[in-house]
Amino acid sequence: MLILTRRPGERVVIGEDVLVTVMEISGQTVRLGIAAPSELPIYREEIWLAVKDENRAAAQAAVDGLPEGALPGGGSEAQRPS
Amino acid sequence: MPVSLMPVTVIQSTRFGELEIAHQDVLEFPRGLIGLGGQRYTLLDRNPGTGFLWLHCIDFPDLALPVVDPRRFFADYQLQIGEDERELVGAADLDQAAHYVTVRTAPRLADVVVNLRAPILVWEGRGHQVLNTAPGAELQVPLFAPTDPASGVAGEGGPAAAPADAA
Repeated sequence: MLILTRRPGERVVIGEDVLVTVMEISGQTVRLGIAAPSELPIYREEIWLAVKDENRAAAQAAVDGLPEGALPGGGSEAQRPS
Repeated sequence: MPVSLMPVTVIQSTRFGELEIAHQDVLEFPRGLIGLGGQRYTLLDRNPGTGFLWLHCIDFPDLALPVVDPRRFFADYQLQIGEDERELVGAADLDQAAHYVTVRTAPRLADVVVNLRAPILVWEGRGHQVLNTAPGAELQVPLFAPTDPASGVAGEGGPAAAPADAA
């Protein structure tokens, strides 16, 4: 891992078109500004991990694993798959 | 390979066997799904009338996720996304885009949850999974109201679990 020391207002350039600016340091908190192409998604790590976990868990679903008649107003009450 | 000139794309789904996907049914996901990737998906209605659809990846035949339209299950569903994501989705009015949320299935209905935090918006053939910062848009929200008699045991449903008006 590359480790750099930066002061507020200083930047790091990643590749040709990603610019990370140290906006502010306050106690234990660092505010970063990130300029990157729109096709490059940027997430806080914890939310990225959490959504990834949910997506992967959803993708484990079996064909016969969905509840039947589940839609509110769909007529039948929600039932377990038989 | 001029795939776009072919009328259908055929995939060998590990769940559903051979599928022919008409090109107008192919959804482009420029960023893929978070943590899963895949840049082309389609929606399969294999459980008609239940509200469940399968968001099936075309690039990876073993990748498919059950999804529901949150607006059909949650009367209080709201969406708040950043300006960057709004531009990505491209719809001037986000209400006009199709909204889907992934479903984490479970043997007990009370344990079936959906991810309101990261809905998938589809507009004009393109899909994006976005981060919803609206109040109550949690990662795991029970899909069924905790008092649902069919769930057997009173569940641990959250306040956002009330189903939409049944009328």
